Amino acid sequence: MSAPPYSYSYIFKYIIIGDMGVGKSCLLHQFTEKKFMSDCPHTIGVEFGTRIIDVCGQKIKLQIWDTAGQERFRAVTRSYYRGAAGALMVYDTTRRTTYNHLSSWLTDTRNLTNPSTVIFLIGNKSDLKDQRDVAYEEAKQFADENGLMFVEASAKTGDNVEEAFVETAKKIFQCIQDGRLDLNATESGVQHKPSQPGRQTLTDQSPKPSCSC
Amino acid sequence: MTEEELLARAVEERKIIVEKYRKGRQKGVHIDPWEDPSIQLYQALDRYGFIHEGSYVHSSNSQEQRLEQERIRKWTKMVDKWDKKKVIDSDKLKRRVYKGIPDCFRGKVWSKLLGLDTIKEEQRGKYEEMCKLAWEYSPDIRQIDLDVNRTYREHIHFRERYNSKQCELFNVLGAYSIYNLEIGYCQGMSQIVALLLMYLTEEDAFWALSTFVSDKRFNMHGFYIPGFPKLLRYQEHHDKILNKFLPKLKRHLDKNGVDTGIYTLKWFFQCFLDRIPFQLTLRVWDIFILEGERILTAMAFNILKSHRKRIFQLGMDDILQFLQVKLPKNFEYSDDVAIENLQRCVEELKKSKLDYAGTPPPNELPKKPFGIFKPNSSFEQKVVGLRKDFSSVEKLTRDNVMLRREESLVNSPNGRLSNRHSDISAADASFDDGSSIIGEGSHKSLAGTSITSTADLSILSSVTRSQAADAHSIDIGTVESDDGQTPSGLTTPLAITCASPSPDVVRIFVPYVTPSHSPIHASPQNGDLVYRQENKIRIRIVEQTTSDEIQTPVIETCSLLSLRPSQNIDLK
Repeated sequence: MSAPPYSYSYIFKYIIIGDMGVGKSCLLHQFTEKKFMSDCPHTIGVEFGTRIIDVCGQKIKLQIWDTAGQERFRAVTRSYYRGAAGALMVYDTTRRTTYNHLSSWLTDTRNLTNPSTVIFLIGNKSDLKDQRDVAYEEAKQFADENGLMFVEASAKTGDNVEEAFVETAKKIFQCIQDGRLDLNATESGVQHKPSQPGRQTLTDQSPKPSCSC
Repeated sequence: MTEEELLARAVEERKIIVEKYRKGRQKGVHIDPWEDPSIQLYQALDRYGFIHEGSYVHSSNSQEQRLEQERIRKWTKMVDKWDKKKVIDSDKLKRRVYKGIPDCFRGKVWSKLLGLDTIKEEQRGKYEEMCKLAWEYSPDIRQIDLDVNRTYREHIHFRERYNSKQCELFNVLGAYSIYNLEIGYCQGMSQIVALLLMYLTEEDAFWALSTFVSDKRFNMHGFYIPGFPKLLRYQEHHDKILNKFLPKLKRHLDKNGVDTGIYTLKWFFQCFLDRIPFQLTLRVWDIFILEGERILTAMAFNILKSHRKRIFQLGMDDILQFLQVKLPKNFEYSDDVAIENLQRCVEELKKSKLDYAGTPPPNELPKKPFGIFKPNSSFEQKVVGLRKDFSSVEKLTRDNVMLRREESLVNSPNGRLSNRHSDISAADASFDDGSSIIGEGSHKSLAGTSITSTADLSILSSVTRSQAADAHSIDIGTVESDDGQTPSGLTTPLAITCASPSPDVVRIFVPYVTPSHSPIHASPQNGDLVYRQENKIRIRIVEQTTSDEIQTPVIETCSLLSLRPSQNIDLK
């Protein structure tokens, strides 16, 4: 019996991190199910979601690890940061404390992932305009200073959610093409799936299709 | 913001939140539209109060209904003479609890099994006192508020913002956060209390939670305190059981990167709430309340044993999907069969003396007395934030969890070598009961890969080395970030032995110091970060427990993929 043919060429591992209540699971749900879950339960430990997307003509499966936000769970969720190709770091634009904690989350991420991990900062709940507690410019500056990609998004309206996940994937894909990301390392968070099943060997080299993104 | 400003803000925030719950829904509290999911589906309510999408078909047939009526008759008699006849110690009670407590008696029987009337009598006025203190002082109010609105919103009682059950949930969790200061509030507790509130009054739910946490039958204190020491002990015990009774399944899980830490957390933390169908959860809870914590171990074993054939056919994504999403919707066995299997699992584990994970060590037990709160505590106790440092218990936890994840990769036949093609081919699967989905030969193939696993690591040197980079779990980088030490502070090789009782691991770190590089400021493009990983030697001796594997010490050197030439020190 042979393995089923893969319907995608790569797997990218993502993690979603940030304080509790910032909307990590809702972002994930909006991205995978394309709807807002107003009665979304809080995450305890880690949950898991997947979706296949198309980046530069390549089918890419995103394997997304959603983590608990409560402080004390950090001791157990950190072990799943390792080997992430993308990290979505989320704060709540209506609660300043969640923004203030970003540097801790960033330190954790930088220490536990590898240098080529793409970190994307998301300011969630952008639809609650009159409750805004963190200015866009301030967060943008923080993102620029630390070399992070950044958008404000809304898991409720879906605004910029797709963009955040897909842009991260594009950036990772770029890194693969540039050769900055070594596919042979488990640490990279990227698995290459050759389209011919059963012919995988460790020396498989990834194809390098031309891409304008 | 300064500490004073943060504190003032936290106090203000708490006041607003508490005020909302004290007013409740009826007295005109402002509710943001997004906080209140709409209810249109009254017709799709199940017997327990859960709202289902579309039309919900109640599945019980007339025979089941007759059986339930019969049981209600028997339980009525038994509950009536509960105190006179010492029902609590009787075999009859045990038999009947295993068959399921009729839903209309559940609250009453749970209350009796937990001895709530006695506790309430002894602790008269305490609950009220704790509530008031919580409203005034609990640092966890903000977290509790967030979670109250995210707990069982698909249940009719918890659907509306600030309705009476949400207020009760808020009060019980708040009161407990002040009553037991070592735990405060830990996520996972809100589901438990919500379940209790479906069957018990507010004050009873509080004392039931208190009993689960501190009574020696349950000892859940160690699950919820920072560092989760009991969770780790339970997960280790679970691994031990898998290695003994389901070794091939364990290898399959390892191979796919599904370690115990991922899927057992809710099992142990909330006694299977949300991880198996609600009706079956109630049956398990009936037994949990009667028998105590032993049932957690057996039920975890039961779930994997019952579904092992299915799991063998799945790759990583699908295993997690199956355990976390599909099983709660459909357990695939009837409740009665699942419970019979559970009893068999208990017996099987008992024979090997593995039914009980052991008495809790001192670090899992409460140290401070309950219900004594002094308002003049430290800043950290007043404002719950993201601490920069971990406590020593948390560090141990963190390191053990990392180590276990790493070990599961090392122990797996293909984990680190072919992680990239982890989607499994069914040809590899042979089950732990000796049966096989593809006939003879499959056992051999799996055993074959497992033998090569340890031996081949040293031969496939280049791949192994680059992949062994994940050894940096407890490495210098981590030490430096969490403890505020700089790499230059580590001038001698540092050995860390693992506190975990399982395989013996000794690590020797040889720091190669480049003080000018700080990991945060190093540019990801130039590869400067590699100094942290490449100057490390690791010797690992993997202790094999299963008989079909040869004992081979594994020696690895380690370097991260690097853009500049790395200097590996090969120990061979």
